[in-house]
Amino acid sequence: MEPEYKSKYNAHLIKVILVLIVLGVGGIAAQALFIPSDFGEYGHYRTGAVEDEINRLVRNQTNESCLKCHPFIKKIHLGGVHKTVSCEFCHGPNADHAVDEKKIADMPVKRGKDIKTLCLRCHNKIIRARPEESIKMIAMPQHLEEKRVQTTHICNQCHHVHAPMKWVIEAKKAHGLIKEKEGLFPWMN
Amino acid sequence: MQGVAETATAVAGYAFPNDFHVHWSLMIVLYPYITGIVAGAFIVSSLYHVFHIQALKPIARFSLLFALAFLACATLPLLNHLGHPERAMNMFLTPNPSSAMAGFGYIYTAYGIVLILEILFIYRETLVKLKDQASGFMKNVYGVLSMGSDNIGARALALDHKVIGFLAAIGIPMACILHGYVGFIFGGVKANSLWATPLMPVIFLLSACVSGIAGIIVTYLIIKPRAADSECIRSCIKFLWGFFILDFVFEMLEIGMHAYLSTHHWHALHELFWGPLYQSYWIYQVLIFSVIPFFILMGLSLIRFNDFIVKLFGFIASAMILFQVLLMRWNVVIGGQLMSKSEQGVVSFHPEWIAKEGIIPAIIIMVLPLIILFILSKVFPFWLPAESESSSSK
Repeated sequence: MEPEYKSKYNAHLIKVILVLIVLGVGGIAAQALFIPSDFGEYGHYRTGAVEDEINRLVRNQTNESCLKCHPFIKKIHLGGVHKTVSCEFCHGPNADHAVDEKKIADMPVKRGKDIKTLCLRCHNKIIRARPEESIKMIAMPQHLEEKRVQTTHICNQCHHVHAPMKWVIEAKKAHGLIKEKEGLFPWMN
Repeated sequence: MQGVAETATAVAGYAFPNDFHVHWSLMIVLYPYITGIVAGAFIVSSLYHVFHIQALKPIARFSLLFALAFLACATLPLLNHLGHPERAMNMFLTPNPSSAMAGFGYIYTAYGIVLILEILFIYRETLVKLKDQASGFMKNVYGVLSMGSDNIGARALALDHKVIGFLAAIGIPMACILHGYVGFIFGGVKANSLWATPLMPVIFLLSACVSGIAGIIVTYLIIKPRAADSECIRSCIKFLWGFFILDFVFEMLEIGMHAYLSTHHWHALHELFWGPLYQSYWIYQVLIFSVIPFFILMGLSLIRFNDFIVKLFGFIASAMILFQVLLMRWNVVIGGQLMSKSEQGVVSFHPEWIAKEGIIPAIIIMVLPLIILFILSKVFPFWLPAESESSSSK
């Protein structure tokens, strides 16, 4: 003899189905509540998002913007092998420094040991993806040992950060190791 | 001409972003790992509930709860990886059927509902009985979990049985889709020559089955080292070996296909497999954690050893296979990003211990499912003394 139960044999199944229906209806209600009214007018996006993106502050600029106000650096930078390197790659976004060509803050400049870290971002031999023929790859401190300088040396003690071979070539010329060359920027070689 | 040469040099030496930073790191290694364990554990349960492999009866319920515990944490690595995790729910507000990434949200949710319902229906009779014995807060908990019904008569249980059969039957393809999808998301990245292969979903699915079964064996033997059912362990080992044969063969076939086809990407893949992945792939994943457990499982499947040997070596082989699958995830996810986009060479990756996506958060995320499993064990009894006698325990 089966005992009497308070619930019907299928009561739990009906409840589960009802819960699923309620969840589904709740989902549809949430969509109606949270989806912005201009969503889907032209595609799977909010129309106002285009306006938002247009109004977003442009943080990055080209080298041209930077060099416009820095003629001295321009001469050196464009004359060296780093001429294709973006200013922002080392200094950070233009927007942190100038807005509408007006200076708002000092540009971050790396100094001391930070210079070494910065240089090794590109020149570290551990990054095996760099072809040797297009970029000088070095390992520290072997490079310093090979050049017979102290291993505590920072990169910019020998290399000008904007034209890395500038001082090296000038020093070699001064010691007669290479001949004087004509031209405005002889260290370009 | 000098200008052309300079331009070419500048392009070849361009600093691509992946040379500095592996964007999909440890969290994206864990995501397919945890999801795979979920899918695999569900398949163990289905082998009993749908295919009526009687030897797996002792772990049929446990494996469902095991799957639920890991399912509850499957999204954590993704949420931790995201810059704006709060936007995750947008995929439900504005569903985009053509988004492969959003696909996970839909599959995961649907599968989660099926899994929870299946557990509730399987446990309903037990929960109703526990509700009668419980008092206070737990009585309310059991009342909700038993779906507000006290009817455990023959007719109600027969209905439950039908529902369970239906849920288990749709649960199998859903579990397969859940993990096949994870393979799809990698296989669909056509810019990555390591990932972009139609074999990827198959390999991910098979490794999911392998990791799920291995995870069940390991935890079952940790919880019940002596009392674990030997015949059940033997059956699990045979299924593990079977799935692992397929998994391992497909893994080797994939790299064999790459090598034989020798497309223009092969030089980059070759450099990858014999460069930064040499140890983690050939030495660890293939040689140590695939070949050794393969032969252990073969021995345990073909020769009848005594129970102690079966449990001991079954545990060792399963633990090794769990690690093999983790290594496979690592080698696929991280390995795929170690090739420079320039295809000029490879880069290296070393995970940090303390970082947002570092080793410590990874450990925490892997321990969380075990804590959830422990909490679940306080509500849902994994093993019932009367389970073997009860005809309705399915």
